[in-house]
Order: sequence, then C-alpha cells, then structure tokens
Amino acid sequence: MGNIWVMGKKEFASYFASPIAYVAIAVFLVVVGLKFFVVDTFFKTGEASLRSFFELVPAFFVFYLPAIAMRLVSEEKRLGTFELLATLPVSDAEIVLGKFAGAVGFLKVTLLLTLVYPLLLGLLGEPDWGAIIGGYVGLLLVGSAFLAIGLMASTWTRSQIVAYIVGAVLSSLFFFIDRILGAFWEGAKKVAEYFSFSSHFSNFTRGVIDTRDLVFFLSMIALCLVVATFSLNRRRWN
Amino acid sequence: MTHSAAAPMIEVADLRKRYGEIDALKGISFSINKGEIVGFLGPNGAGKSTCLKIMTCFIPPTSGSVRIGGLDVQEHSRAVRKRFGYLPENAPLYSDMVAYDYLKFVGALRGVASRKLAQRIPAVAEQCGVTDVLGQVVGTLSKGYRQRLCLAQALIHDPEILVLDEPTVGLDPNQVVEIRSLIKDLGKERTVILSTHILPEVLVTCDRIVIIHRGKIVANGTPRELQEAQASNPPVVLRIGADGLASEAVAAVLTQQPWAGAVRMRPVGLAGELEFEIAGRGADDLRERVVALTTAQKWRLLEVRRELLDLEGIFRKSTQE
Repeated sequence: MGNIWVMGKKEFASYFASPIAYVAIAVFLVVVGLKFFVVDTFFKTGEASLRSFFELVPAFFVFYLPAIAMRLVSEEKRLGTFELLATLPVSDAEIVLGKFAGAVGFLKVTLLLTLVYPLLLGLLGEPDWGAIIGGYVGLLLVGSAFLAIGLMASTWTRSQIVAYIVGAVLSSLFFFIDRILGAFWEGAKKVAEYFSFSSHFSNFTRGVIDTRDLVFFLSMIALCLVVATFSLNRRRWN
Repeated sequence: MTHSAAAPMIEVADLRKRYGEIDALKGISFSINKGEIVGFLGPNGAGKSTCLKIMTCFIPPTSGSVRIGGLDVQEHSRAVRKRFGYLPENAPLYSDMVAYDYLKFVGALRGVASRKLAQRIPAVAEQCGVTDVLGQVVGTLSKGYRQRLCLAQALIHDPEILVLDEPTVGLDPNQVVEIRSLIKDLGKERTVILSTHILPEVLVTCDRIVIIHRGKIVANGTPRELQEAQASNPPVVLRIGADGLASEAVAAVLTQQPWAGAVRMRPVGLAGELEFEIAGRGADDLRERVVALTTAQKWRLLEVRRELLDLEGIFRKSTQE
C-alpha cells in the first residue's frame, strides 16, 4: 500500500512538473466553456441543467484521457528508467496501481475545475442535484476506465504515439460500440449496449447510481489493470 | 583463485540468454565472495550488461541460475531486489524530477523510513558529490552529475551488494578518479560487481577480474593470477647504460649465449640507455644469468625484469580469436 502511494504521488507530481498538463487542462476547460456558454447559450436558454455538459465531457474524454495515460509506462521503457523501477523491490501490481492512481488524481483535478458550472447553476436556479452528483460519479468512473485502457496500451509499446492511438481507438470502441454496431444491425444493439460505456454512463446522468453500472465500470478498470500488470510481468519473465 | 569456506554471496551457474537468434550468454559460471570487488571486463556487446540485468532481476535467463545470498533471483526476486543497489547502464533518471525528490522517491520504494531518509539523502549526496545540485531538476544536470546522482540512488538504502554497469562513463578525468576511490571505499564493507571496458579501471578498483567475450568467460582471477597464468616463461628485459656501446654489438653478445632465445632491441625514450628483450629457451628464470653476463661484460646495469604480459595484453589476447 505504501509503495502504491509513493508511486502515485510521483506520477501525479510529474504531470504538473511540465507545462503539458496545464495546456491540456486549459484546452479542456476552454472546450467545455465554449460549449456551455457559446454553443448552448447558457444564459439565454434558462435551463438549470448540466445535460449537455454530461454529453460532451465523456466524448471529449475518449480522446483526451488516452493522452494523459500514454506516457505512463511507454516513456519509462523508452528512457530506460523502467529498468531501475523494475529492479526496485516493488511488485508489478504496485507499479500499475500507483501509476493508475496518479493518473486518476489528474482526472480528479480536471473534474474539480469544472465544478464552477454546477455552482453557477446553483446560484442562478434550482438544478437537479441528484443528476449532477450522479453525473460526476459517472464521469469519474468512465474517465478512470479510459485511463485504465490507456495505461494498458502504454505497457504494450515504447512509443507514446502508438500508446495514444491504441488507447484512443479502444476507448472510442468501448464508448460508441452500441452506436457503431446498432447502425449495422439492430439485433446486436442490445448486446452492444451491455458493453457500451455511454449506455452505462447515461444512467448516472439521470441521477441513478445503479450497482450494475458501478460493477461494470469497476470490472472494466480491474480487467485493464490486470492485463497491464500481466504485460509488465510477461516482458520480464519469459 | 581463492575461495573462502563461507558460501559465496553471488553464485552464477551455467547462465544462458538468447535474444531471438542471438546467444548473448553462452553458459557463464562464477561466484563472488562477500566483500569482494569484482570487475566485469569485456568489449562492447560481450554480454556484461545482459549478465548484470539477469542478476538484478530485470530480465530472466533462458537457462541457468543466479543465487544471491543463497536466494534464487527468479524464485525470490523481491527478497533479492532488496539486497542490492543498482546503477544501470547510461544512468536512466526521470528528467522532470528535482534531484532531491528523486532520491526520496527511490529511498521510499527501497523501504527506507522517511525520518531516516532525511539523514541518508544528504549523506549519500555528499559521498557522490551531488550536494550542490540536489535542488535542481534532473533534466538540467550534466552527464557527470546524472551519473553520480544515479550512483547516489544505488546507495540510498546502504545495500550489501552494489551492481554498477559502467559507473564512470561520461565523467571527466577528475571525477573518474573520485568515483573509483569511492567505489574502492564502498567495497570495504560491501560486495561490489562492476562492468567496464576500461582496463585501468579494473586494475585500480577490483580485487578480481572476470573477462567476458562473446558470451563466455575467457579469464577469471586476480590481476596477478591472470598475468602469471598467461606466461609460464616470460621474456626478460635488460636495460643498461649506453656508454658508447653499439646496441648491435650488445645484441650479438646476448644472442651468442646458449640460454638465450630471440633477442630484440627495444626503443628507449631516454638518451644514453639501451634496452633489450631476451626470450628464454628453457623454462628457467633468465634473470640471474642476464645479471651475471652483464657483470662479466662490465655493462652498467640499470634494470632487469621479467616481462609479464600486462592486463591490456591479456585482454587483447583473450578477446581475439
């Protein structure tokens, strides 16, 4: 547990050691802000809801979070720092969990900065707080799942670009699978919905925190982290 | 090759490693006793780093075993990893971290309590000469500082075994001398294994030398043992005052001796001195005969010595096919 904390702290701090994190957060906030104020013309519509925010953000995360996760392992492999890390008395699972925790910390900071929107709603009207809290729980879960996918992709390659592309492709596949399959074959849509991040996420935005959705995201995250641990391990012991 | 009765600290048995089609290690066996400083010597690509990477649990061997303190590196990887400090080749570091935080990070993962770390970090920084740059971001450090910071990292938990892959690469001559004496110092109470392709390095720092070439051990012993093993009847070198003597005349006298083999004149840097290399015919030590002859001829004797092959000679001889 101690090692995971040390790893996580280091990963979290290293995001903010370079200007890239600030740029990434700025881009995210500008996109969300433009959608909120300009596209949806928040002040004119007069609707005290974050519905459009919760539609935009997860779709944006599909391409944004793989960029946050891509460097986690691939960069260590490229620079050779992985050799030192792997020869410390730290298990592969601790490395993976620590890196995941650091990336989730970054996601939390990003989400924290968007809290101005619900606060604004609260000041100006009477929003459905259940839907907002549910939405944020959902964002944290779907975002963590994208990060776990990105981390898994990052263990497969030394190239950050490859890690990003694989992460983003897998993320969009899981996010849009019901829409992609549904477009071709109506019958597959029901099955696809079970695997679709977006259909599980949409329940949260209605203020419903269902155990099935929680279990779905948590097991997706666990699966990706197990695969990531396994692929670190496999590279060392074969 | 002396071995104490106690179990060796590091035992490598028939270690083999294949990378695809390439046999990087072709069956290497040796052991290192507690407190020894052993130098791994070999040309680039000989298999030194591969062997160290297996010993430090970074990559598994294809076959064979490494035991450290009696524990197999594959079965007890985590326990083994606690016991050594490792300086990998090229000193890989996180360039976006502050040097102090980096040492703290490694120390914490090494299981050093944070209160103890507050004392250890300044101590190892002092030892390795990185005190001045502890507040700097690693990416801004010169190669020499990075190398020494990485060495400090290997010492942070005061390990019983130090594994150093090319510890002096990228340092300037003064730093090289400092690091070598530091390694020698560290080796007083620790087992040290270092790899290098620089010959003087092993001579200055190591108790024992293991020469690796193309994935095999070609020599293993103290510098003295290696030198003696290479030449059972080494040539004798004679140096005398010139004093108007023609070197050809002296060579002729030497050649006439029944015990002398080939005689070769050797260039001398100093004026007024002549030097000859005399090969022996039998297994006898020629030095006494050469001295007797010199006295009889009333040459002015300056020096007589047996020419043991120096380490560079041994290295070249054993790594050429």
